[in-house]
Amino acid sequence: MIQENVFQEFGRKSFQNLKKWMVGAALACLTTTPALASDTRVALVPGGPHPYFAAWEKAGQDAKRDFGLSGADYRVPQKWELSQQNQLLESLLTQGYNGFLIFPGDPVGTNSIASELTAEGTPVIALAGCLKQPTPAVFCLGTDTGNSAYLGTKELIKTLGGKGKIAHFTGFLVDPNTQLRIDAVQKAANETGGAVEVIQVIADIDAPEPAEEKINAFLAAQADKVDGIVTTAWVPAVVAANSLRKIGDKRIKMVGIDHDEVVLKAIKDGYVHGTMLQNPYGQGYIGSFAMDKLRSGCKVNQNAPFKTTALTNQFIDSGTAFVGRDKVDTYIGAMEAVTKDLMASFESTYLVCN
Amino acid sequence: MPLQKLLKTEWSGLLLVVILAIMLIGYLKPSFLTPFNIQILLAAISVNMVIALAQMLIVGIGQMNLSVGAIGGLVAISFAGLMDVFQLPIPLAVLVGLLIGLAAGLFNGVIIAFTGISAFIITLASLSVFKGINLGITEAQPFYGVAESVKSFGNSSLLGTLPLLIIPMLVCLVGVWVLLNRMRYGRHLLAVGASPTAASLVGISVRNIVIGTHALSGLLAAVAGMMVVARLQIGQPTIGDDWLILSFAAPVIGGAVLAGGHVNVIGTLLGVTTIAIITQALVLFEIDPFIVQIFLGLLILWAVGINRLRDLRLTLFSKPA
Repeated sequence: MIQENVFQEFGRKSFQNLKKWMVGAALACLTTTPALASDTRVALVPGGPHPYFAAWEKAGQDAKRDFGLSGADYRVPQKWELSQQNQLLESLLTQGYNGFLIFPGDPVGTNSIASELTAEGTPVIALAGCLKQPTPAVFCLGTDTGNSAYLGTKELIKTLGGKGKIAHFTGFLVDPNTQLRIDAVQKAANETGGAVEVIQVIADIDAPEPAEEKINAFLAAQADKVDGIVTTAWVPAVVAANSLRKIGDKRIKMVGIDHDEVVLKAIKDGYVHGTMLQNPYGQGYIGSFAMDKLRSGCKVNQNAPFKTTALTNQFIDSGTAFVGRDKVDTYIGAMEAVTKDLMASFESTYLVCN
Repeated sequence: MPLQKLLKTEWSGLLLVVILAIMLIGYLKPSFLTPFNIQILLAAISVNMVIALAQMLIVGIGQMNLSVGAIGGLVAISFAGLMDVFQLPIPLAVLVGLLIGLAAGLFNGVIIAFTGISAFIITLASLSVFKGINLGITEAQPFYGVAESVKSFGNSSLLGTLPLLIIPMLVCLVGVWVLLNRMRYGRHLLAVGASPTAASLVGISVRNIVIGTHALSGLLAAVAGMMVVARLQIGQPTIGDDWLILSFAAPVIGGAVLAGGHVNVIGTLLGVTTIAIITQALVLFEIDPFIVQIFLGLLILWAVGINRLRDLRLTLFSKPA
């Protein structure tokens, strides 16, 4: 009984956190008209456990209520392994889910399971990360990660006065977004004509232990040589923010990513210059809405203003925003506004419904 | 220890590798030997050594514990969660953390001992159970409310170079060394690893040794999990996900026989040190992130190869004329 209470209490705490840092209040603004009951049962499936995707759970719950879906459930593979994600997806199909919002475990490898799912008549949308074309996914809804990394690096370069040496800490090499981020940071540096140099890229550190070990090793060796740090993955941002706080170095400027409490506090305290927010709630909410529309007869508008990335030419940007010290207390409002804008015109822009 | 005696130890080749690596990297990259970097290196070694000890004991009885990381991760988020949600005093949170690790280890040991099913299968299943509980509790969200003194413990040092995390590591290291080299239980443990049948015939309770050793392994994984929380200053649900390869690699590099019956605490420490130095060197030498894994694998093979070369030379020279 005590154990049960502990788990319930932990669960409550997690839920409270979720409510606090995501757009709980946004629903009233986003809701269109209450929908009739739909038989759409959506599964929101990330590549593995990661705090970034936690907002998808609430987004699914809200979408279920607002659009009258039969279900919109967040289901997490136990590990970041393509095989585990594939097994979970197959299992969910047999359980009756009929629409899938998937963060691809691999931009190419996930296409085979996506084909299996669509062959059964269940649409697939790539969420937060894209599948490489040709793909059965109807479109990709996510952060334009390359653009976010580019804008974040530009912010860093601006605060450095247009010159200096920077380091880039990023995520899993198997993440389809990682190479895009590496290229984007390099592009922003190249545009300075050599005034800014990327002296090191440390990747595959979106897990606590390797991030801690490698970022600290880097700072121990290069802290006096580096002027700025850009992080484009959640865990490296947290670890780097803590490391800069620990060594007490406010000379090194850092631009992080996402909205972890550690990063936000470091921004307030002046150890981190700012962070590039993404919009996981908006992805889950709008993705569930779009899935229901597709299942109820709407088609993708082939003339919609899709963006083109290295992986797909059917990309929809779920939004990104830089948040510095001046906006750190009101960041939720910034992302609510982005979601509201996208939602307002989504159906008319990207879908054709009779 | 006289030089000749030192050279005859099974870990002398590895010691040579470590010394050579430190000298070479220190020469090429002077920042490697700065007090701050030594502190970083020792902190990594401290945590990784406790993880390796948790696996080394199981290797000693000829089994595998695939759930070491899952136990450590479960204890880590429980430890952080108890402080965050219930504001439990640190000693009580540590005690509960240790008890969870002990219980998880007992769970493994009892099932293995009473069913006779391979430890590989049982711990593969329990890995999933423990990780599932972790995700059920956290929903992949970290616990942030770690007590300030825990954070301070994980990030402070003595004399600017010795991280405080070295203290729990030394306690575990000495404890395991004494257990294996000075206590009857340790001899029984290795006897069971060498031959469970022979051990049983001389009156050793194989079942008790298996249960006890898995319990100890869970306890050590719990210590490592809490050390990582202190180091990271948050209770991340993914703590432990990366432990498996290291937990096997370090004892094996240090001379452990995977079939059981032979492990070496000092060798394991040198194995952990070798891996930590290699990991750090890859950062210092700015190796392309896409080929880091290749370098890591090749350098570990090189380290193991030198140790094996020493063994072969000793065997040749010890043959009667």
